[in-house]
Amino acid sequence: MTLIGTSVPRREDERLLAGKGSFLADQAQGAYHVMFVRSDIAHGELRHIDVSAAQDMPGVVGVFTADQLGLRDNYIAPLHEPHPEFVAATAFAMADQRLALMADRRVHYVGQIVAAVVASDRYLAEDAAELVNVGYAALPVVVEMEDALDADAPVLHEQLSSNEAASLSYTFGDPDSARAQAAVTVAETYRIGRHGAVPLECRGVLTRIDHRTGEVDVWTSTQIPHMVRRGICAATGWTTDAVRVHVPDVGGGFGTKANVYPEEVLVPLLARLTGRDVVWVEDRHEHLTAAAQGRDQVHRCVLSVDADGRILALEDDFLVNIGAGSLWVAGIIANTAIHILGPYRVPAARVSGKGIFTNKAIVAQYRGAGRPEASFVLERSLDAAARRLGLTNVEIRRRNLLTAQDMPYPQPLPYRDGVPIVYDGGDYRACLDAALELLPTSVVAQEQAAHPELLIGHGVGCYLEATGRGPYEAAKISVTPQGRIEVMTGAASAGQGHETSFAQVAAQSLGLPMEAVRVLPTDTGSLAHGIGSFGSRSAVLAGNAIAQTAALLVDNGRRRFAQATGADLAEVGYREGIFQAPGRDPVGWRELAQLGAPGKALEGEPPLYAASMYRCDTVTWTMGAHATVVGVHPGTGIVRVLRYAVAHEGGVEINPLVVEGQVLGGVAQGVGGTLYEEFRYGADGSPRSTTFAEYGLPGSNEVPEVLIRHLGVPTDNPLGVRGAGESGTIAVAAAVAAAIDAATGCTHVTATPIAPRTIKTALEAT
Amino acid sequence: MTDHVIRLAVNDKQIEATVPARLTLADFLRDRLGLTGTHLGCEHGVCGACTVLVDERSVRACITLAVQVDGCSITTVEGLTGPLADRLRAAFSRRHGLQCGFCTPGFLVTATEMIQNDSRPKPLTADYVRETLSGNTCRCTGYQGIVQAVLDAEAHDHITG
Repeated sequence: MTLIGTSVPRREDERLLAGKGSFLADQAQGAYHVMFVRSDIAHGELRHIDVSAAQDMPGVVGVFTADQLGLRDNYIAPLHEPHPEFVAATAFAMADQRLALMADRRVHYVGQIVAAVVASDRYLAEDAAELVNVGYAALPVVVEMEDALDADAPVLHEQLSSNEAASLSYTFGDPDSARAQAAVTVAETYRIGRHGAVPLECRGVLTRIDHRTGEVDVWTSTQIPHMVRRGICAATGWTTDAVRVHVPDVGGGFGTKANVYPEEVLVPLLARLTGRDVVWVEDRHEHLTAAAQGRDQVHRCVLSVDADGRILALEDDFLVNIGAGSLWVAGIIANTAIHILGPYRVPAARVSGKGIFTNKAIVAQYRGAGRPEASFVLERSLDAAARRLGLTNVEIRRRNLLTAQDMPYPQPLPYRDGVPIVYDGGDYRACLDAALELLPTSVVAQEQAAHPELLIGHGVGCYLEATGRGPYEAAKISVTPQGRIEVMTGAASAGQGHETSFAQVAAQSLGLPMEAVRVLPTDTGSLAHGIGSFGSRSAVLAGNAIAQTAALLVDNGRRRFAQATGADLAEVGYREGIFQAPGRDPVGWRELAQLGAPGKALEGEPPLYAASMYRCDTVTWTMGAHATVVGVHPGTGIVRVLRYAVAHEGGVEINPLVVEGQVLGGVAQGVGGTLYEEFRYGADGSPRSTTFAEYGLPGSNEVPEVLIRHLGVPTDNPLGVRGAGESGTIAVAAAVAAAIDAATGCTHVTATPIAPRTIKTALEAT
Repeated sequence: MTDHVIRLAVNDKQIEATVPARLTLADFLRDRLGLTGTHLGCEHGVCGACTVLVDERSVRACITLAVQVDGCSITTVEGLTGPLADRLRAAFSRRHGLQCGFCTPGFLVTATEMIQNDSRPKPLTADYVRETLSGNTCRCTGYQGIVQAVLDAEAHDHITG
């Protein structure tokens, strides 16, 4: 049976192509609609909220402000913190974040919720929400991080003494003497603009009340249902068995839906307060204002190399603008600090970083979450050093990339999980060579001939990605009375094809055909624990959890067979769906399941199932190299990405079609963040990118064809899989920036998104 | 709020309904008729997820009012049937032209209009497909599989005339 490694057509496709997907908004029939009243100023004190006019509107069943909610905690409990070993090694510190779910005294960003209207339909809810009158006393606004750190800056959060949300630093080797001995030292400030996931489906939460029990069923467009449940329970004081969080079809997540949101707590609460089923369907303006954003970093990087271009020391000091707050700040700054070392030999480093509060919108982990930023800074620094030395961008990388002789390669630093970092790669230099085979520099001449009006340049970018972070993922496999195998994991799907690839793992592990297995959507009532889908972890964690649980299910089946037939357990065998023992009639899963039916051998026995948690010691590392050829229009500075290639050291591919899709989609998002997408803010903290006219998503004319080479490198987990969800995104900015510099011959791109006007200005100055 | 009576055909079924003037076509289809395959991605006419055919031309249902389609014939993703629709759907799946599937209905409707338009280049070119699909946004696939799927589906159409 070779299901793993096969591009099995996706099971999700039939319903989605028929228009029969079941997204959050599609399930809203009969529910009352919630419309949130949101702050239209970035920082201020709430003076009064007058809801009387709204309350009198037709169809309105309630208008709620913070003091009516009866919350235990008016904030979301922290989602995670790093391991003590990592904290000790990096002097990691984190502030106590208590951003209000619904503002009670103060607002911290435009879009923060100040009231909620519940009405019989969306139109009426919007009418009423417009009549809620909110009075503010404006406070000084902080938009830029440098201003937030100023000694005179207002401290944005009352419980804190500064605007620092988190900090860390580490040093190894001797960067000072390395710098003193360097042939070339390049120092530069790099900025990665604020952009984000922006899935095509906005967020949404539906709650239905079971009036018999008082329990609530919550459907939310999320990647992390169990964390949502925890957030609801922590804020409301409800027990976990009073809330059941379900995951509908999710229209893309990419990290912004791997967050716990105020709306996910408030909608269930409003259902309880009104005694009605209620739904909130986010609109695009709300999404671009109030959903978690990403990136927004500034780095000061100093790279020292010897006369041959070999890295002697890396020094980087960075700031992350987390806006009004981020439940993921620890992960973002840790990812950034760790991945800044890249896939290279770096003998000495001094790295420090901080997360900074401002009055922009909140931040979560967006595809890569610190990795793309780190890659951009390190790769740009290498390009700068290469230029100073007269080396090509490719050559300086070839001299520094780790090779098979270096593996496994330890870093003198623990990962976020406290385990010492050891790169488990194959040959990173060979991976760059593979990318260049797909897209050699000779392509420049071809493209120049095809586009005589453009300046053409070739660029490369490398990355290393820690994937499959633990500590665990849970899986449960049940056998229905008809013998069908049903699989559920905590790794909720947001479009990655889990119904297919997880079924492949289960079917292969059980020696069954695909048709025998069904993967169920995650719900917290059926699966007690789980973590979720993010950080390129689902294939690694949930995949191995399924394989492990399948083995347990077979053991349970063998025991039940022995019990029913009196066979010696040691003699009970299982192969391809059939249990057998000497002198006994062989039975399949269906017969086994039906032994518990009335009048059968095991009457009253509960249905067969197995559940387990797969724990991994630490992450597995996926390395890759991107190569691109771009065309720059000399008159306008507009950049077209003409050609693109990605080679990556993945592990075993459960479904190659799905993995390839992850890389392709990742590149598209990378192109967006590099060239088009930015959440812009005015000096008063007002968001300026609140429609798709202003927030530019890449379209079919902007995203190139991508060539992909998968270099399978084994890794030490039972399935041998590595994560690949972020591989396509991470190095795009680095590669495109390098190609632009090569095309123009007069730029050194240091900031994204790369504005045509910047390029045009540079070209005009030469 | 003034209500209006409208008569229209949706997926070949005759319908008469009383609707407020401000009700969008998308909400009419989704909430009144239960045709939830028409998705709302931006509600201001940019992303194309809500694309439907009105008298065989693609229209953004999010910025069209239900009263505007009085007397018209509407086709939603649920109403895409026949050999071309079958080929498109099969090609989208084979080419991995969808991941989360939220934008997919809009792409299928736009692609149907493109291939049914006799003035298209024959055979279709990738550039033409990309240009024609540029009003539909996909956040998952990078468009590569979508473009290939449309080319696949049309190639058959072109060959068989």
